[in-house]
Amino acid sequence: MTDKILTHIQFSNINKYYTKKHLGIFTDRKNSKAILDSAEIELKGGECVLLTGQNGSGKSTLLRILAGMLKPDSATVTTGFESLSWRKANKLIRRQIMYLYQEPYMFDGSVTRNLKYALNDKQLGSKSNDQISQALKWANLEHRAETSAKCLSGGERQRVALAQAWLKQPSILLLDEPTANMDEESRRSTEELLRRFKDSGTALLIASHDVNHFSQTMDKRLLLDKGKICEMTNQVTSAHDNVSLFPSTSNKLKA
Amino acid sequence: MESLTTTILEALTLLFSGDTELWTIIGISFRISTTAIIIAMIPAVFIGFVLAYADFPGRRLLISISNTLLAVPAVVVGLTLYIVLSRQGPLGEWKLLFSQTAMVIGQVALSFPILVAMSHSAFQSVEIRAWDTARTLGRNPLSAFFIIMKEVRFGLLGALFAGYGRIIAEVGASMMLGGNILNSTRNIPTAIAMETSKGEFAQGIALGIILVSMAFILTMSLQYMQGKGSIRT
Ligand SMILES: Nc1ncnc2c1ncn2[C@@H]1O[C@H](COP(=O)(O)OP(=O)(O)O)[C@@H](O)[C@H]1O
Ligand SMILES: [Mg+2]
Repeated sequence: MTDKILTHIQFSNINKYYTKKHLGIFTDRKNSKAILDSAEIELKGGECVLLTGQNGSGKSTLLRILAGMLKPDSATVTTGFESLSWRKANKLIRRQIMYLYQEPYMFDGSVTRNLKYALNDKQLGSKSNDQISQALKWANLEHRAETSAKCLSGGERQRVALAQAWLKQPSILLLDEPTANMDEESRRSTEELLRRFKDSGTALLIASHDVNHFSQTMDKRLLLDKGKICEMTNQVTSAHDNVSLFPSTSNKLKA
Repeated sequence: MESLTTTILEALTLLFSGDTELWTIIGISFRISTTAIIIAMIPAVFIGFVLAYADFPGRRLLISISNTLLAVPAVVVGLTLYIVLSRQGPLGEWKLLFSQTAMVIGQVALSFPILVAMSHSAFQSVEIRAWDTARTLGRNPLSAFFIIMKEVRFGLLGALFAGYGRIIAEVGASMMLGGNILNSTRNIPTAIAMETSKGEFAQGIALGIILVSMAFILTMSLQYMQGKGSIRT
């Protein structure tokens, strides 16, 4: 029995402080910094959302909270009609969400071995070799099947991670700066693979400090600034300008 | 004292003629230490893992405590357990003192801090990203744990060997808890200490050869395995 497929999910009232701790025990609330302040985000199957924001604005933090890797100070998750706490939602939907690091971690062993880790117990049966060779082909990695994954280039690692996502088929795919340090060609091939995810109905959320990336693929562009998320209009093209273009979202905080 | 050459020849004769007393001592040593390391290993590796990856209050304090325990001398561990296990001690009723069980307990206590500290640093050598990646790929926590163990297998093996090295050659606790009883609790280090104090060197040298060969074999096999597991394109 597969999980019910998520086609629509909303995260609201996301708050996150990075607290300072003394001796690793006592939290120091006074010196804590709000990274996310009642942020809100909505993801839909087949929609590609681009999350921009300056370095250090909290994009990775947000993505990792959505992925269930990092505990927020509060967050509400709404799927369909039910509203859940982050912890509860984490148990139910974690398997349908996948997070890709900017520099994906490769385990010891071949690319094939790394892809195997993405198969669930049911897939691990007799057809697993078939699935893996299809994934290799999909990501154009056939010539790398037996290469030690730790020796791959950044672009190839990204493709291995995407092939893992292809095997796992998550409803929501979160990507952290997937093309940050890539040359033009790797960027194009990554974007092409992402478009295929989108066409197959996956909800995509891509964090990028460069607003000009993924302009062909994205449906919606969001800006994370001072802990809040707002939608950007199309005429805005430079990340530097728009920080001041949205005073309405930031003045609450600085009042 | 006889000439060194004669003593060494005598030691080799003891070893290769299959001297019963000698090989009984060797057998006892390895049986006790192997039992101890197996008992200590499972919880210690798990604690090392938790200290490396889990975030809970008091974590750093626990790390400091585990590192402090590393520095506690074996005789102190022996003394503490001696008091606990002796007739008037809290566990005196179990009548464990001067038995192999007491020695196993002592060696578990001795190897535990090393195993915790070294597996902690082994796990730390792999970033938390590895754990998060395994989880986001859909592995359950147990399966992710085994994947990470595989990532750090050499570090963990190194921890096991270091722990084993400490307990198999350790005199103080073995002497106090075991009592150096022939055919029961006399192991390699206590035999060496006793024979040497009697001025008999042949058996001591034979046992020393065993310890050194063991250390050599363990180190070589770790190196060999690491070589095989190294990254190749
Ligand atoms: N584990 C952490 N502990 C404390 N502060 C952190 C931690 N991780 C990130 N931060 C801080 O939170 C802010 C947001 O970081 P991040 O989410 O990585 O931003 P982005 O991905 O947008 O560059 C930064 O100021 C960073 O220094
Ligand atoms: Mg980031």
